[in-house]
Amino acid sequence: MLELSFAYILCFSLNLLLDYVKTLDLDSYLLKAFLKNFIDYQPLVVSLFTFIVIVFHYQMLQRKKVEIFCRILVGGTVFNITTRYIRDSLTILIPVYLLSVLANAYLDFNFFSNFYLVLILITYILISARQVRKYENF
Amino acid sequence: MKIFRFIVSKIFLRKAILGIGMILLLCMANYITFAAARSILSTFQGYQETKYINQEGIYIANLDPESHMDMGLINENGTHAVYDYLNNNFNYAFYTDGFIVSIPNTDDMDISLGYMNEEYYKLNQFELSQGADVDFNYQFDGEIPVLIGKGLSTTYPVGSTIKMEESVLGRSITLKVQGVLKQNAYHSNYYALNSKTYYNFSILVPVNEEFMNHANIDLRLNGLMDITILQSTKEQIADLGEVIKDNLGLIFNFFSQQENYDYFNEYYLHALKIICIITFILLVVITCLSVWNALVGVRLMLKDFTINLLVGLSYSKLKKIFYGYFGILSFINLIVIFIITAFDRYGCWLRKDATFATYGLFGLIGMDWLALLLVAASDILIGVIVVESMLWKIKKIPISLGVLQ
Repeated sequence: MLELSFAYILCFSLNLLLDYVKTLDLDSYLLKAFLKNFIDYQPLVVSLFTFIVIVFHYQMLQRKKVEIFCRILVGGTVFNITTRYIRDSLTILIPVYLLSVLANAYLDFNFFSNFYLVLILITYILISARQVRKYENF
Repeated sequence: MKIFRFIVSKIFLRKAILGIGMILLLCMANYITFAAARSILSTFQGYQETKYINQEGIYIANLDPESHMDMGLINENGTHAVYDYLNNNFNYAFYTDGFIVSIPNTDDMDISLGYMNEEYYKLNQFELSQGADVDFNYQFDGEIPVLIGKGLSTTYPVGSTIKMEESVLGRSITLKVQGVLKQNAYHSNYYALNSKTYYNFSILVPVNEEFMNHANIDLRLNGLMDITILQSTKEQIADLGEVIKDNLGLIFNFFSQQENYDYFNEYYLHALKIICIITFILLVVITCLSVWNALVGVRLMLKDFTINLLVGLSYSKLKKIFYGYFGILSFINLIVIFIITAFDRYGCWLRKDATFATYGLFGLIGMDWLALLLVAASDILIGVIVVESMLWKIKKIPISLGVLQ
């Protein structure tokens, strides 16, 4: 849980940081030219960075495959396990997103500037949730 | 090699997501390092170039940001009076560029004309690949000897002439190619040292007193903006400032060597320090994430590694395999950075951006190769940290326990 929260926080923080850099009124042309390398590609940089979340989901499911199989063995259903997995992931994602919205409000940024990240991360959760059924038969 | 191929294909590639994760993290680290290295190298090049004017007794003009430019007050007589005063009392280096003309050439680029006087030419010591130095004592009514960039040398070889219907003289002129500048010759902006104008598609026109007397007001006014006064004193400069103010209504600042050094220390060193700090912090974060990604890999592949260790694979061989695997990932990233850079350079040719079009091996110039070298060095550093942490993790777990897992 801590690991996933940390991964989400990193993604939102990166987006927030780049949003913040955009608002800076720098007199240094050199610094502006350097930061432009990142600001110009902000959505791409942040989206690529979210890959660490994919790595997290992947490794977690790999490590839990025995547990999933055992749960099914003792009466759990794939549907229940998948639902719980999605619910738990969203329980971590939503507070982190709300925290980032609060940070946006505090810094006077657009509320929805990081909403695209939520969509990307939810997509990851849904894709990884589909992997749960792969471990139905061990 | 056989065992390396076996471990990569049967263990690493079976968990390709972790490999892709590592590639993406490395890609970000490489991009940051590359951007920072290029900024620093470009600034350093600019600093080296401006060193020749950063000497005692040299003052560089700069229009005061608070000075309002009223074109209604600026006239031919005013600029003539200023240049007369300059010619009578000072040695000065004159240079101005950005006058775009359409001249036929093989690459269909718009050509930028740069005008310079003899003092500027002596100070800069342009390196030529063909031809000879320009002569400033040319006949004003005849052919004007010029230097051209490499991009124009095929269309206009040394000795050929270029006819221009319109010019700063307000009449048609004929230019004679006297020499060809070395490829990628450049001029750095005095006030943005990391920003350069490449001369590959430029023509450098020598300017003498007669030329200046007949030139239009644009050339004379633009030339004043960056004029460099040589062998002068603070008092003489103050008088020049007054003359400019009286005749053109403009307030000019003239910066001395010490002021330029102070400006560099305060403005550029500070910015460079911030770039270094940002790069360092981001690299540390990315290295930590890479170590995390690698340790996740070890956790998932521990059984495979320990089985191989059990059947005779030594730790030293495993170490070599890890370094080899990381080397492949780094190499993929270097290729990606190389392609992005080459495409970026090629983009200037596609956009017909004459001031940024450069020549080089695969389109990359010296500064890019040097930056790529620094990227490779940073990859080696990250590689050592990641591989050693992976080995540390594997060695920490007894082989028997690893197999059981």
